[in-house]
Amino acid sequence: MSASKHGSLLQTDPHTKKRNAAEKRFRMYGLSAIGIAMIALVILLVSIIGNGASSFRQTYLSFPVTINAAEIEAAESALLKTGAYNKIIQTSLLIYLTENDLLHGIPKTDAFAMISDEAGATFRRFILADPDAAGTTFQLNLLANGRIDGYFKGRVTAQTALLDQNVTPAQLVLADRLADQGALVKRFNWAFFTNPDASDQRPEAAGLGVAILGSLYMMAVVLCLALPIGVAASIYLEEFARKSWITDVIEVNIANLAAVPSIVYGILGLAIFINFAELNQSSPMVGGLVLTLMTLPTIIISTRASLKSIPPSIRDAALGVGASKMQSVFHHVLPLAAPGILTGTIIGLAQALGETAPLLLIGMVAFVKEYPAAWSPDAGLFGEASTALPVQVFNWTQRSDPAFVERASGAIITLLIFLLIMNALAIFLRKKFERRW
Amino acid sequence: MTNIKISAKGVQVYYGDNHAIKDVDVQIEDKTVTAFIGPSGCGKSTFLRCLNRMNDTIDICRVQGDIRIDNEDIYDPAVDPVQLRAKVGMVFQKPNPFPKSIYDNVAYGPKIHGLARNKADLDEIVEKSLRKAALWTEAKDRLGAPGTGLSGGQQQRLCIARAIATAPEILLMDEPCSALDPIATAQIEELIDELRQSYSVVIVTHSMQQAARVSQKTAFFHLGNLVEYGVTDKIFTNPEDPRTESYISGRIG
Amino acid sequence: MSEHISSAYDRDLESIQTLIVKMGGLVEHAILEAAQSLEARDIERADITRKADKVIDALEEQINEEAARVIALRAPVSKDLRALLSVLKLASSLERVGDYAKNMAKRTPILAEMAPISGADSALRRMSKEVQSMLRDALDAYVRKDVELAESVRQRDLEVDQMYNALFREFLTFMMEDPRNISACMHMHFIAKNVERMGDLVTNMAEQVIYMVSGVMPEEDRPKMGSTVTAQDI
Repeated sequence: MSASKHGSLLQTDPHTKKRNAAEKRFRMYGLSAIGIAMIALVILLVSIIGNGASSFRQTYLSFPVTINAAEIEAAESALLKTGAYNKIIQTSLLIYLTENDLLHGIPKTDAFAMISDEAGATFRRFILADPDAAGTTFQLNLLANGRIDGYFKGRVTAQTALLDQNVTPAQLVLADRLADQGALVKRFNWAFFTNPDASDQRPEAAGLGVAILGSLYMMAVVLCLALPIGVAASIYLEEFARKSWITDVIEVNIANLAAVPSIVYGILGLAIFINFAELNQSSPMVGGLVLTLMTLPTIIISTRASLKSIPPSIRDAALGVGASKMQSVFHHVLPLAAPGILTGTIIGLAQALGETAPLLLIGMVAFVKEYPAAWSPDAGLFGEASTALPVQVFNWTQRSDPAFVERASGAIITLLIFLLIMNALAIFLRKKFERRW
Repeated sequence: MTNIKISAKGVQVYYGDNHAIKDVDVQIEDKTVTAFIGPSGCGKSTFLRCLNRMNDTIDICRVQGDIRIDNEDIYDPAVDPVQLRAKVGMVFQKPNPFPKSIYDNVAYGPKIHGLARNKADLDEIVEKSLRKAALWTEAKDRLGAPGTGLSGGQQQRLCIARAIATAPEILLMDEPCSALDPIATAQIEELIDELRQSYSVVIVTHSMQQAARVSQKTAFFHLGNLVEYGVTDKIFTNPEDPRTESYISGRIG
Repeated sequence: MSEHISSAYDRDLESIQTLIVKMGGLVEHAILEAAQSLEARDIERADITRKADKVIDALEEQINEEAARVIALRAPVSKDLRALLSVLKLASSLERVGDYAKNMAKRTPILAEMAPISGADSALRRMSKEVQSMLRDALDAYVRKDVELAESVRQRDLEVDQMYNALFREFLTFMMEDPRNISACMHMHFIAKNVERMGDLVTNMAEQVIYMVSGVMPEEDRPKMGSTVTAQDI
């Protein structure tokens, strides 16, 4: 038996050894790349969550308040209504503090300053909603001042209070006493999601309400416009258009559009929708239209990919049985491509949700305090000024008060959670509707 | 004397500049199985697809010549290919049932052509088609199950049932057994033998034994030409053209 | 005829053809040997010829097996099918010719005891030579696929028949002249009949060759003088 070229199988020859070593090295590179990415991700998450988690709990002052009908009348007829209500709050607070002997050694003004300026408006809303409360004593939860909140979250200490003009060490002492009493507690901050934005002086009252609403309206616009237009364009290009140089040019352009920087769409939106079509600036309608333009290429490309992945045997089978081209597309190809299209749409929406640059250019960066209505007679559909989640984040990072850092991080966490939900939905829908053929 | 169902004269097919079918004349008889044989790329599938205008879906394909079914020119501008394909059914090489239930697979054709007035009619059509395709006993208890869940041979029978549900007069089969195992193949061949009592069948096949077993007339294609067309027995025992002899004997040249 | 794409198929067909040619050669030899040993009344030579028939029989079996194998494996059609079917028939015919030669050899010792009949031996020898030459030509026609040659073999059977008829009348005359001749004449007659049968078989072979090559069995009645003498000739 002559020696074969390969020698014994039980001994690895040098060539194979080298190859195995190279593959092992490559695997190491891959793993370390993943490791680096993971570390970066972890650092990002830790820093965001570290900064933002605290925004979900807010310090509230809870004590009994009395008001009678005459006081309500007087307050309602006053010029500065919230101011009048503030006075009533302060009166009630004083009663409470003296009753429980918490006020010794601390000036009254300090005590009053511990309540957020927002409290008056809150109280007023409460009374107007529930007029029967007049004449009774009820427990009221009012936001504490931003600095007090900061004290409980570790931002403010006795030392910094000395230098800070918005808070005094005496207030901190009172705060401790109230906390021991159980009157000053940290609650889950639902208001973070429902409140509109607040001014620099009242970071404790700042919320994402308007931003969430604005983003929702825009997503609605994008969904209603980009999905049908994108899918229809895709179907036409893929199934019906004759192969000619025109369709080639269109295809190339669509692919390029997906790579265009988003801020260019902002300029486009400004020029067309605001200057030419004279739609309202900062409205979710304009924002939605701009984002539609941005998302269209993504949807078209992913829809085309889904359509292309349907094997031609299905189309042949439908045609063979006597279906027209249109019937074969709508009865057979589209249902099969639906999971892919859906996934592409949701991913496009998720991308649009996080876009900031184009929205800045069309003016959605303004400070908006009223909830935008979906439709109003003079502004039209989605025409009232609004802001959006990512823009709100940008806005808050510009503010000076350190409490806004916390809130910006909280908003980022909220945004990330929305994105996670949307992506999870995409995966779930894909798995549910995926069919084998 | 059997009558002529499909009459093709002077048929030329071009794929762009490639002259794929060169001047083919053939008369296909009614209630007969006609086999198209020939080496790969000889044009038999292309010619088959001319008979139900499936080549229309290919942009670069041009068909010239006269093709008549029941003496009506199928390439006449007044003819709607969709209507033609209800009359001329097709079964493909790889079984391709729709990813729907067995019932919906068979019912789709009659539905879109408006052949059933109500659900009861449709049920009847589905049952008849499945029986004719020898699939009823296996499928009747799971009409709602997905068509893609059947075995290969069953799927192909489902495709045959789907094709005959539109009450066609002609059945075109493009290598229907090439993806199936020998037992499924034998079952399909048996089915074809029964089907020829009701339909004209044209079958393209790579297997000469299959053509010999299944068909009454055979056409041998070579490089786009129809070299010989005649009774199957004669083609396989004593063909006239030496090219036919070479091909069926497995000779080069 | 061009080659098969599968070269093993060609090799199989060639090997079967070689076997036929070999068998044919052996049968030709057997015919000549039987005739010559009869004429020379050489018992030992006849015995060798008789025993050699076993080889011929074995070859027929081998050819049958080979042909069946190729038919099963290759599913031949048209020319190839006709070739293989013909080979089976040719082998069968050759085997029977060989048997007749063996028969001739078997009768030689018996005839050696008896007095020779003048003229009969040489006539038989001439007949055998003619049949052997026909066989050689038939085999040539098979190998060369020569229809014309095969056709000419068919025609020569007429001569063999005529030679047989002549011998038949001679034997009748001998037997009528002297009843002591009857035994020898009967044996000789059987041998002559066998040679005439050999001629018919070789003609069958030639017709098989024509079928194999052209696909058509020659229909016209071959020239025969088989129905021999009627009562009037006597």
